[in-house]
Amino acid sequence: MDATAHLTHEDHAPAQPALLNHPKAKTGLMMWLTTVDHKKIGFLYGFFALIFFLVGGFEALLIRTQLMVPNNDFLSAEMYNTMFTMHGTTMIFLAVMPLSAAFFNFIMPLQIGARDVAFPRLNAFSLWTFVVGAIVLNIGWIGPIFGVAGHNAPDAGWYGYSPLTSKVFSPGHSVDYWIMGLQLLGVASIAASLNFIVTIINMRAPGMTMMRLPVFTWMTLFTAFLIVLSFPFITIALVELMMDRNFGTNFFEVSGGGMPILWQHLFWVFGHPEVYILILPAMGIISEILPTFSRKPLFGYPIVVFSGASIGFLGFAVWSHHMFTTGMGTVATAAFSLATMCIAVPTGVKIFNWIGTLWGGHLMMRTPMMFALGFVWMFMIGGFSGVMHSAAPADSQQNDSYFVIAHFHYVLIGGSIFALLAGLHYWFPLMFGRKVSEFWGKLSFWVIFVGFNVTFFPMHFLGLNGMPRRTFTYDPNLGWDTANFIATIGSYVLGVGMTIYFVVLAYTFFKGEKVKKDYWDGRTLEWSLDNPPPEYNFRVIPTVHDRDAWWYEKNHKEEVAAERAEHAKAEEAHGGIHMPFGSIWPFVTAMGLFVISIAVTMMNSNPEPGIHARLATTLVGFLIAFIGIYFWSLEGNEGYHLHLDKDGKVIEDDHHAKH
Amino acid sequence: MPTLPTILARSGRAVIALAGAFCLAGCEKLNFWRMDGHQSTIVVDGPVAREQLDLFLVTCWVSLVIFIVVGSVLAYATFKFRARSEADEHAAPPEQSHGNPLIELSLIVASVLALVVIAIPTVKGIWNTYDVPEAERKDAFEVTATGFQWWFKFEYAKEEALVDSAGKKTPLITANELVIPAGRAVRIHLRTFDVIHSFWVPKLGGKVDMIPNRANIIYLKADKPGYFWGQCAEYCGDSHAVMRFRVIALEQKEFAEWVEKQAQLGREVPAGSGTTVSPQFAALKSFKTNQAGITAAYDKTPLDSWRTKQKAESQEDGNLIAKGREVFAAKNCGTCHTVRGHGAGGVTAPDLTHFGSRTTLAGGLLENDETQLRRWIHDPLAVKPGNKMHFGVGAMAGYMKKNDSGKGYTRNITLTAEDEVALVAYLQSLK
Repeated sequence: MDATAHLTHEDHAPAQPALLNHPKAKTGLMMWLTTVDHKKIGFLYGFFALIFFLVGGFEALLIRTQLMVPNNDFLSAEMYNTMFTMHGTTMIFLAVMPLSAAFFNFIMPLQIGARDVAFPRLNAFSLWTFVVGAIVLNIGWIGPIFGVAGHNAPDAGWYGYSPLTSKVFSPGHSVDYWIMGLQLLGVASIAASLNFIVTIINMRAPGMTMMRLPVFTWMTLFTAFLIVLSFPFITIALVELMMDRNFGTNFFEVSGGGMPILWQHLFWVFGHPEVYILILPAMGIISEILPTFSRKPLFGYPIVVFSGASIGFLGFAVWSHHMFTTGMGTVATAAFSLATMCIAVPTGVKIFNWIGTLWGGHLMMRTPMMFALGFVWMFMIGGFSGVMHSAAPADSQQNDSYFVIAHFHYVLIGGSIFALLAGLHYWFPLMFGRKVSEFWGKLSFWVIFVGFNVTFFPMHFLGLNGMPRRTFTYDPNLGWDTANFIATIGSYVLGVGMTIYFVVLAYTFFKGEKVKKDYWDGRTLEWSLDNPPPEYNFRVIPTVHDRDAWWYEKNHKEEVAAERAEHAKAEEAHGGIHMPFGSIWPFVTAMGLFVISIAVTMMNSNPEPGIHARLATTLVGFLIAFIGIYFWSLEGNEGYHLHLDKDGKVIEDDHHAKH
Repeated sequence: MPTLPTILARSGRAVIALAGAFCLAGCEKLNFWRMDGHQSTIVVDGPVAREQLDLFLVTCWVSLVIFIVVGSVLAYATFKFRARSEADEHAAPPEQSHGNPLIELSLIVASVLALVVIAIPTVKGIWNTYDVPEAERKDAFEVTATGFQWWFKFEYAKEEALVDSAGKKTPLITANELVIPAGRAVRIHLRTFDVIHSFWVPKLGGKVDMIPNRANIIYLKADKPGYFWGQCAEYCGDSHAVMRFRVIALEQKEFAEWVEKQAQLGREVPAGSGTTVSPQFAALKSFKTNQAGITAAYDKTPLDSWRTKQKAESQEDGNLIAKGREVFAAKNCGTCHTVRGHGAGGVTAPDLTHFGSRTTLAGGLLENDETQLRRWIHDPLAVKPGNKMHFGVGAMAGYMKKNDSGKGYTRNITLTAEDEVALVAYLQSLK
């Protein structure tokens, strides 16, 4: 029996109610709402993340415009405070995290030789919950448009320090949107992370031992563990804050003996691992790009992996370095100071190993490589200013000054964003089968690189010259005008660079040059696929013989071909390629959560007329979510089988197969 | 028709030429890296800030050395090993090496050693700067600073001030300008009753937060007499950016004189005394939102300006001042503000007993002169967004009063132009 043969239908599912019919849409809106294909979900993550990246970037430009000259009145104080709150929250939770999730979804299963993630419908649920969380977080923007008082976008800082977030100091509903938005994003992140962990542990192709995992997959695994372990802290903190605001509890409420400092500990026990949640995926992407474009394996693979683990582990032991100025006492300050310095070691190790990877290679200076090298340089600078912060007495001057802003933008833009931009260019040929023009790619890199440095390098000087962050205005007598003016000009250049980047990317998506498979002469399994990858990913699940699995295959073609044919037979004997059904229920469940969240944000500690309508709305939300989960369970985790011709085209799908 | 790369190269050259011209023209303006502003952490005036600066410089040098070494290797590797042509890229792949444990281990050891260089002064610095050193503790000057949205209250527990003419005394309280003895360790107890603030005088030392339900302290010391800029460093709501203050360090003798003067009741200027001030006195000028309210003269020699403010104005209009005092009482300003001896004892707003002797107003935001004071009391909301003099605080009304329904505000205090001018004269007379 060859791969094109198909089996007779063995079992027909019993007749089901129409509601439980599996959606079959292959195009259009229904397809997008019901898809469980990790590549399509990855694409949607990326799509929404890029939209919010542009929103967050626009907010940043407004902030910089306000600070361009001293005593500017471009934005009101309230609007400025809203802008920096939403800029931070948006960039962290709605841009960098989901963009990383886009790569986890799209690339990770391909790297381990899997046909999908472990729980495809849970994956769809994560996506839609992220989308509704993003909407709840941003819904306050429309309040002022319709002139509804008390319904603004959040303005208490992305870290929401108590007691500024209490009902007394933030009487409107803006903080409630922030609370419920973050809760939904937490649900989405934890669900997605559990999915990735199970996928990586259980769904690796034969021969793909843990120490053969591509580094990006390793970093996906570490990030997923960090999310699962750190998000519960902010979940608890947000629940407590919600209770304080709406039901009169006293977790943080000073008048009731609550402790605002408790919020800071809970927030940063989440918040510091969050920093590594943002940077580890970036390090993974860089560890893929540098070997590919140096045409040699990663230098010191085991130690790079171990460094990632150490960073993740130490990430839970340093949260109080965000609180050096809170009067923790000498011993605690010293302990967190030294623990923070320790993180510099595994981080430094990564830099050394990346340089080792370049050493002796044939470096292909293409756009992804440019961004990757830019990453290494910028991340070094951000890392050094990070070490400066770890020296607590020095940090007491730098904390909450523009020096810190410079530091974390070097880490988050020069680090995370550069890596994500590199990853988009790197995997674009695989994802869409098209290639961005080198000229435009490199041009966008240089404009972004220059704009970024002109924006953020002067901020080091601003901070050392005593400019505090989160200030909507400053006087001209403090020596801050020139650096601020330069920074603002830089931010416009950065904005132009980003515009070039994304316009070029959008153009390429529709009209770009088509390229053949394995465009970069890659090393890992995803490059063994046609581009764009077919819905079933691997025609035959590969067997892995080496860390750089695809590189090995390319050098051992005959051996692998023989083995592949063998496995194809075995797989066909099992009924062909098993695929999961699409489902609308994850989407319905997410919509239920959306209704619940909106209703909860409207609660009020002083019940007014209409409280019953709000309670009822909450119940309606629960009902929708319950229906979603109920039918989700009822429709079962069945799938169907695909049968392919010898070109890989689907000749039949057997929709009644059971798993 | 020039090609795109040519156009880009040409425009690049034009930009560089323009930037060069700009640099030459604005050389003085562009040297922002001097970092010697009023809030500099690099040009400092006290031992605490100096220890923090020295530690920062250690981290800087260590970082710079490592950066140069690692950066050079990275740059060398990039240029040395880059493919110079398409053919080069597709030449036979280089040796597929996997790493070198010896190199990696030695680099780890080197990183750890570099960190030890930073760690030792860090730990020393933590103990040295956390509190007043043991040796100086007996002589340390103690003061309590409390943050409010958006101003600072300073309370001198051991320096007593008269409350009434009968001789009753309480601890001395001032606002927004902290006067301390120079050359003496100062321990400031940091308190807040609303949200978190942070006390930061960069030239004297790093910041420490004011957190509700938490008794923090900060240790500072000024080498010599001086006038220092400070600012709240923790986001505390609408007007965080304009929550500023000053620290004035004085020789022991001058400091003692200042305390003695502050301990007195609010100054009395009898009606009918002095001369009538001109109609231009405290004329209402229009200001843009966020417009700066300081003069160059004050900015240049602030300590001299402060000393000048301690003396009575040369021209005072007793009648106008008396009218201002009436307005102050009639508009119930004393519900929130204190003027000792003038029947005003409010505690939710800055103590104004010696307001006229301060160089700044509105939480260190504006220079304390007639123009800026009139600007402030004419429309406080235009100066400080969300401020409590406008909206009131708690159950106490400000210029506006919260409606009983809990939604919206109605006007509570209306000042005529005459009221404003009289108030300015009265407040300025409170030396």
